[in-house]
Amino acid sequence: MIGASIQEALTLNALIGIGGGVFMGYVIGVIPGLSRSVAIAIAIPLTFYMSPLVAISFLIGLSKGTAAGSAVSAILLNAPGEASSAATALDGYPLAKSGKPKTALQVGLVASVAGDILATIILIFVAIPFARVALMFGPYEMAAILAFALVFIAGLSGGNIFKGLAAGAFGIFLGTIGLDAQTGLPRLTFGYTQLMDGVPLIAVAIGTLALSEMFVQSEKLRFQRETMAVKLEHRADDHITFPILRRIIPTILRGTGIGTFVGALPGLGPSVGSWMSYGVAQKWSKTPENFGKGEPQGIAASESADNAVIPAALIPLFGLGIPGNVSAALLIGAFAIHGITVGPLLLRDEPELLYSIFAGMVVASIFMLILGWFGLMVFAQITRVPPHVVIPIVIFFCLGGILLQGYGTFGLVILMGFALLGYLMKKYDYSFVTFLVAFIITPMLELNLRQSIILSRGEWSILLDRPIAIFFIACTIVALVMLGQRTLRGSREVEAVAQT
Amino acid sequence: MRPFALPIAAAALLGAPAALAEEWPSGPLTMKIGFEAGGSTDIQGRVLANVFEEHFGVPVNVVNEPGAASAVALTSLKNTEDDGHTFLYGPQIGLTFSPIVSDVEYDIDDFRYPALVALGQNAIVTSAEQPFSTMEELLDYGQDNPLTYAQQSPIDQQIIETVAGEAGLDLAIVPTGGGGGMAPLVLGEEVDFAFSGGTHAQYTPTGEMEILAFLGTERSPFYPDVPTLIEEGFDLAMEDYRALVLPGDVSDEVVARFEEAARVATEHEEFRSTVEDDTFLPVEFFGTADSEEMVRDIRAGNEDLMAGAD
Repeated sequence: MIGASIQEALTLNALIGIGGGVFMGYVIGVIPGLSRSVAIAIAIPLTFYMSPLVAISFLIGLSKGTAAGSAVSAILLNAPGEASSAATALDGYPLAKSGKPKTALQVGLVASVAGDILATIILIFVAIPFARVALMFGPYEMAAILAFALVFIAGLSGGNIFKGLAAGAFGIFLGTIGLDAQTGLPRLTFGYTQLMDGVPLIAVAIGTLALSEMFVQSEKLRFQRETMAVKLEHRADDHITFPILRRIIPTILRGTGIGTFVGALPGLGPSVGSWMSYGVAQKWSKTPENFGKGEPQGIAASESADNAVIPAALIPLFGLGIPGNVSAALLIGAFAIHGITVGPLLLRDEPELLYSIFAGMVVASIFMLILGWFGLMVFAQITRVPPHVVIPIVIFFCLGGILLQGYGTFGLVILMGFALLGYLMKKYDYSFVTFLVAFIITPMLELNLRQSIILSRGEWSILLDRPIAIFFIACTIVALVMLGQRTLRGSREVEAVAQT
Repeated sequence: MRPFALPIAAAALLGAPAALAEEWPSGPLTMKIGFEAGGSTDIQGRVLANVFEEHFGVPVNVVNEPGAASAVALTSLKNTEDDGHTFLYGPQIGLTFSPIVSDVEYDIDDFRYPALVALGQNAIVTSAEQPFSTMEELLDYGQDNPLTYAQQSPIDQQIIETVAGEAGLDLAIVPTGGGGGMAPLVLGEEVDFAFSGGTHAQYTPTGEMEILAFLGTERSPFYPDVPTLIEEGFDLAMEDYRALVLPGDVSDEVVARFEEAARVATEHEEFRSTVEDDTFLPVEFFGTADSEEMVRDIRAGNEDLMAGAD
């Protein structure tokens, strides 16, 4: 069966889908300001007419491609394609300026691909037993875990837990709009038939993630001078060498470990992973003073962790059906469009699909290596595409995606509303990540909570038979108290932890 | 351009009715689907569109207008006036149930129903691990034990509440939001029994789920041994068909053309195999006279049922 699943991922259709995803991701990643979630948000409508396997592999290939691509602009432009590659720029840009741009790019690529493949293997070996355990989780456990995830994300993705909770609460409020799951009666729809199924996710996601980001970028455009990219030239001594490779291997392994751990926890995104990995690599290095001046280990640490986060974030997704970050949350939406409910039952009922997706992920890593290695020169050129060309194209894709989904003018109005909201949230530092994840998991949380209350017939004592639920309820309270205290003390340690 | 544009548009408008009288369809058709791309209704609808394309000899474009069990698509269909060049395919719950409880902008008489092409498979299911495997055993078991039931709509909830009232069960009912949410609750034995709109087709072959009763008026051809709830002594049914829907002002000739096309589709190999093998619904053809009546009967039944709700 597993052999057949792997074959499934090697059909021409699947290969075109995966390769296309990686390529598109690479291009988007290279362009400064376009992040992973922007890429997924605008690409979901493109997947409507693909088979579920191709669609999901396309989207996962896309996120992997953006992670590798963003390193290119970080290294050549000193302007990371997304926040998670900011640590890469610290050493990548100096190394590139010192006349070794190709070495820097190759170190980044090798680290990305290695981190990616290793984390995918960990995902395969962890997600499957995890999903078996998770099958025993009922509504009590799910409600407790979802509540925990929400508080955790609110506390960690913005720095200020009160602003995080406010953003989360607004997400929950929006998530309650639509038909009631039990009575079928409309809630807060104000007579709009279009709102009966809730505020359309794609419009909210594209609005708050992609379109609002274009507003932010256009604003920057007015005040910022263009930076010049380091030119790639053919030089005999400018390539990755065996001694460099040997030095960065331990760094890559450590970075992968950190990235996987961070990715598997809800709320911590790739930027936490890459910064944490960079810090650890510097601490362990015999020559920490070289960091920031073009140390290949610095690039390797950041990039390996950045890429390891992507497969690792799928562990809670495939195991429990809970998204760990925005990209994973958007994947749930993509699965739903293709009629697949993500969660422990997926492994049980459609193992072939899951194994094919895993195989597709490994194929995507290989594509990444090939495209990255031979396409370096081409992608380097993309860093020269000016923002005033990029922004209108992305806005076109945002609007086109909504119309493709079939929401019409109503969808466009919602899109604009949320683009404005996303812009304001970014401006005043309210975590739009928490907002979006809360919005997406609210129906799930409400349903499980409601089921728990009805099934328990109002008896609290039923929780005594549910140790896992009690554990997560306790964790939620502890997290709330600790994160609240930290914010009140005004500690700003995690300030830089803006997650994608 | 401007001086020419108006007369041409006027000529097109004047010419249109004449052309229609001679020849229908006069251009491409549009099939609305009230669900997102990739779902079972979408899968069926796209194959049906292929068959219609062959039959009518014009392109049939499929447009997804998802939302509220087709209520969004029905609202826009009601306001379409192009003499039957736009129609809808899907389940009827948006017509037979939604207008009873929600304030939608259409009602059952705003549309024509040329044909029904497939049967719904609503059933009451349980886990094979439970100590009961027939409706009778469940009701016996329920005399001494409190029961839990997972619903998917107010209609099936009302049916089960009526059964529970008549049989004297102590019953708690939870929402699931759909078949994907129902399966883990039943298989994990969090609930004793549940409603299934078709999800059971995945779990009965493996022996993990058992069907206690079907909610149609007749047994399912896929499970000839399982009785209906009516046979079990409760005069309750929740019927559902996959229907073609046209705006109400469409002429009788066009309705007849759709009836004929639907009959052709239900005999078409590609449509039959997709609907029966991929989406687990039996294909069956009902013509215009039957379907106009059945839609109203089901609606009346649901109204009676919901009138009993508190």
